Amino acid sequence: MPRHFHPIRLEIFKSLFHSVAEEMGAGLRRSAFSPNITERRDYSCAVFDAQRNVLAMGDHMPVHLGSMPASVIAATNAFNLQPGDAVLLNDPYAGGTHLPDLTLVMPVFPAQTKRGKPLFYVANRAHHADIGGAQAGSMGLSREIFQEGLRIPPVKILEQGRVNRDVLNMLLANVRTPKEREGDLTAQIAACRIGERRLQSMLTKYGWKELSHYAQELLNYSEAMMRTVIRSLPNGTYRAEDFLDNDGITETPLRIAAKIEIGGDRAVVDFTGSSPECAGSVNAVRAIAESAVFYVFRCLLNDQIPATSGLMRPFKVITPEGTIVNARPPRAVAGGNVETSQRIVDALLKALSKAVPQKIPAASQGTMNNVTFGGTDTRPGRGDKPFAYYETIAGGMGARPDRDGVSAIHTHMTNSLNTPIEVLEHTLPIRMRQYSVRKNSGGKGKFRGGDGIIREFEMLTEMEVGQLSDRRKRGPYGLAGGSPGKPGRNAVKSGPHMQQILAKGHARLKKGNILRIESPGGGGWGKPKKR
Amino acid sequence: MRIAIDTGGTFTDCVYAHNGRIEILKVPSTPHNPAQAIASALMAISRRVAPQSIAPLDLVCGTTVGTNALLQRRGGRVVLITTAGFEDVLEIGRQARPKLYDFFGGRPAPLVPRERRLGLRERIGSEGEILAQPAQKEIRTLIRQVRHAKPDAVAICFLFSFVNPIHEKQIAKALRAAGHVVTASHEVFPEIREFERTCTTVVNAYLIPVMSGYLAAIEEIAQRVVRSAPVPKPDRRQRNAQSQVRVMQSNGGIVFARSAASEPVRTILSGPAGGILGAEYVANLAGYEKIISFDMGGTSTDVALLEGGAGTTNESVVDDLPVSVPMLDIHTVGAGGGSIARIDQGGALRVGPESAGADPGPAAYGKGNQPTVTDAHLILGRLGGAALLGGEFQLDAARARQILDRARKKSPSLRSPEQFAQGTIDVIEATMERAIRVISVERGHDPRDYALVAFGGAGGLHACALAAALEMPRVLIPQIPGALSALGILRADIVKDFSQTVLLRAPTTPPAFRLLQDAFKNLESHSRDQMRAESQVAPASPPASYEENSTQRQPSPTDHTSSQIRAFRSLDLRYTGQSTTLKIPASKDFQKAFHKEHEQRYGYADPTREIEIVNICVRLIGRTPKPSRPRSRSHRRDARPAIVSQGKVYFHGKWTASPMYARSQLQAGNQFSGPAIVTDYSSTSVVLPGWHANVDAYQNIILTRRKN
Repeated sequence: MPRHFHPIRLEIFKSLFHSVAEEMGAGLRRSAFSPNITERRDYSCAVFDAQRNVLAMGDHMPVHLGSMPASVIAATNAFNLQPGDAVLLNDPYAGGTHLPDLTLVMPVFPAQTKRGKPLFYVANRAHHADIGGAQAGSMGLSREIFQEGLRIPPVKILEQGRVNRDVLNMLLANVRTPKEREGDLTAQIAACRIGERRLQSMLTKYGWKELSHYAQELLNYSEAMMRTVIRSLPNGTYRAEDFLDNDGITETPLRIAAKIEIGGDRAVVDFTGSSPECAGSVNAVRAIAESAVFYVFRCLLNDQIPATSGLMRPFKVITPEGTIVNARPPRAVAGGNVETSQRIVDALLKALSKAVPQKIPAASQGTMNNVTFGGTDTRPGRGDKPFAYYETIAGGMGARPDRDGVSAIHTHMTNSLNTPIEVLEHTLPIRMRQYSVRKNSGGKGKFRGGDGIIREFEMLTEMEVGQLSDRRKRGPYGLAGGSPGKPGRNAVKSGPHMQQILAKGHARLKKGNILRIESPGGGGWGKPKKR
Repeated sequence: MRIAIDTGGTFTDCVYAHNGRIEILKVPSTPHNPAQAIASALMAISRRVAPQSIAPLDLVCGTTVGTNALLQRRGGRVVLITTAGFEDVLEIGRQARPKLYDFFGGRPAPLVPRERRLGLRERIGSEGEILAQPAQKEIRTLIRQVRHAKPDAVAICFLFSFVNPIHEKQIAKALRAAGHVVTASHEVFPEIREFERTCTTVVNAYLIPVMSGYLAAIEEIAQRVVRSAPVPKPDRRQRNAQSQVRVMQSNGGIVFARSAASEPVRTILSGPAGGILGAEYVANLAGYEKIISFDMGGTSTDVALLEGGAGTTNESVVDDLPVSVPMLDIHTVGAGGGSIARIDQGGALRVGPESAGADPGPAAYGKGNQPTVTDAHLILGRLGGAALLGGEFQLDAARARQILDRARKKSPSLRSPEQFAQGTIDVIEATMERAIRVISVERGHDPRDYALVAFGGAGGLHACALAAALEMPRVLIPQIPGALSALGILRADIVKDFSQTVLLRAPTTPPAFRLLQDAFKNLESHSRDQMRAESQVAPASPPASYEENSTQRQPSPTDHTSSQIRAFRSLDLRYTGQSTTLKIPASKDFQKAFHKEHEQRYGYADPTREIEIVNICVRLIGRTPKPSRPRSRSHRRDARPAIVSQGKVYFHGKWTASPMYARSQLQAGNQFSGPAIVTDYSSTSVVLPGWHANVDAYQNIILTRRKN
């Protein structure tokens, strides 16, 4: 029986827990149905201990890290979970982030157990291409969460191993592409079961005492690693702010204010002074701000650390209620997860650049350029099939203190892939006209910001198209005298005319219209003269 | 005479059959010019055997020339031609970053820079319809631009060329007429996903100059060896003509050198593929059909699961570049004898993926300053002494111990260098155990049903522990663990893979079935045309996950060769909407088989859902003659004559007296129990306490767990 911390066992269990999360992810990706999960990998899988701490999370989406535990807490607060149960939820105000992210939580008991207290939990979250609401793709501009889609508090989707058809039918009746949703949910359940089986066989092999001991050591280990990172920063208070262009309803820029206090191996991150929650949909829930803090500090460590809840222990994160970083119901939140999260990172990095300038890159594109398409495929022979599709577009990475930023790459809180053009055209009434690097859009400097992307979609049938993007007015900042990257641009071409359109909004596009997105370039680093 | 050669980082291994025996020769590799080692090996062989038996020479090579050129970015100057507007697909890739939490990371620079990526205004739609035809004038301009760029090779990849290659064919023809070396994407990899296809095509073009130079050198060497053999004049011309050079591909089959020179992308995992075939062969001789191969070298470990043949994958990634041609499904982890052990800032003992490699090498080699897995084995007494390679190489145990001791002091709970060494071995074994789980448990296979075949320099050191951890009942350590890859290459068949993306709904009506049959027929006749060049073949047995096409068994009177080449058809299937596919033999009830496989792999199946056929695949196999290995008739149980010394070995926290056996002196029928160490010229094996060893009639060591 282990009584103390053992470096060898620790290393072995670290990898074991991590591989459970990775394996769940591989199963989900391979057996799900919508391109956003299978091709773009917009999902996360994680393993939790009985106290609902994250023990391992696959290398999927950083934005989900801080917010996955909230889902497990919400699920377990709602139900006394028993073997064979699983909980589904998406309510941003009860453990979710934004409505399209459907999270499944499953308790894990030793094999053959009939009832008792869960020893572990597994969870996965996947971004569904549509969850109902006013606009296809459920990412459009809204003023209330009720317009954004179906809001699902924790519900038992599985009970004693059987799918709760009532709940499922209710959900499927409220979405545009029910068959695809059902398939993706089935894959999410199967992925949870993979995690369950792996943990059960670990329980058989190592026993509960040893597993739980090392689960706790793993949390301590991540904490210790994070403390070494904080200790390496000079003590002091570092402040910065950055802005979102607007909320899509009014033109007012929205402030993210960040104050980082480093004291020994502890840090306080205070977002007091950030803008009040807004009328549009770029409100973030608190968990998103926590994810951003976690992400930024984790990147400062030049080594791999397991993504566990232990990483958060050295931090105190202050997010005043009713601000854009801790919104209250019934505010709309679709963009908080994808846009505001990026700006929080930008503000944190700007603050840290004052502490450790040689370790901090200039601002990256700072948006995910979310685009949604939805409607009915009216082309001959397609049977008027309904479709809904969502994607994000990469952009320029900020220049680093010793090298240029990378062009056309996803940065910070997301890392989703593109949908191959050939897959996209095979499945949807869309034809791609251009997909290229947006030359010279990166900020100038001793080191240049990476370039953004140009992506053009031609509509082959009439459809609803939604935009949710930022950094359209002010480009991503440069550092140490580097210039900002070029802001992004969204436009529609119809025939010979090209018209700029709003960065946050939706439109009904006609057959033959072309949507053109130019994503922002990254900021430069250092004075251009020194290049 | 057939000679197989496997070029490794340290040694070039040769295996050949002579007078009914299989002979092995090892010569030092010459990394700057790998052909040089091959030349000296052939010279040495021609001195060993009767000179006249060399010709006609049938030389089969496993090669890392392509892989190394790719890893070191020493390929040719390539021009890439794409659909206009999509010149940057190669650079953008899948738009994701390889490392999630790293401000200073990035992705490797594209193999073709922006200024050599040219767009042509043309467009094919998703159903193969021509949306825009290239204008003659623009083609002429393009050809001028290409000439200007002075490329070694040109890659062409247009959108949807896998459905309709008309424009790729047109441009390839024009460029070839202008004297360029061309790879068009529909020729190497006619499958969906433009980035993966473009990248595969570019890698191919990139490697052509390197590979064709290398293979020309080998052909030249082969000719020289044959010419120097004393053969009566009238026969000479014929014998020279019959000599041939062939190359091992990543799919586990061989092709002629000229074919490999034009499709070098298919040879990237040539060496490891040979190892898999070798493992399969020795395991089959010993009577095992279901095996997991475990090949552990200095910097990495390859594992693969074989069940009546090795499976293939087309999702391989080499140095962050997708290389999507079929390769044997080998899972590689960065864990080997040279992996470095350290206590990290959080107090965990980490091993690898950083490796001391061959230079500086482990601390015991005298240069390295960091403890490695090899050092750990050495100070625990598991290497059977302080010499390697039959005494040619001395190890510095004191130095290894000192460096391990320094490293362990970073953790208060490790009290001795032995504890650190044991921990290093435990951690690396956990890494390898996970690698085996990935290819077995995670894909619905129970490792308890499989035998572990361990080889490579370090495979035998960890085999027992791994088998114990995975509850595998037996381990096989082949007679020539250090040259198994060459043995596999010696026995390889000719294998050519062809595929075509079709994106068809799985047929439910007779006309739809006929459509599928027609598509297969077309692909197969195209494949056979290509294969015809590869002659000298005999019937083969079917590989895993392929269905033999019975309609082709009867030789057609007009085509002699096709009767000796067997075709196997398979389908890449998924539920409509999914992204990745499962490969299923193209039998009549393939749909049922798909549901079953889906259930096994992912935990659910839905027979009400529509199945989509993504690719149809044809594999042609031409069987080559194979030398057989003699069975030994020896039945001596007593293994004591093979004991060369007694040593002390550290097992489970204490030093235990343990005999050291010389592998070369073990005979068929010998039996002994662990603890024991078995040393060989280039490898060492550990028989753990509680394990029993038995030398079989083919000189393999079979290890089984003793029942309590």
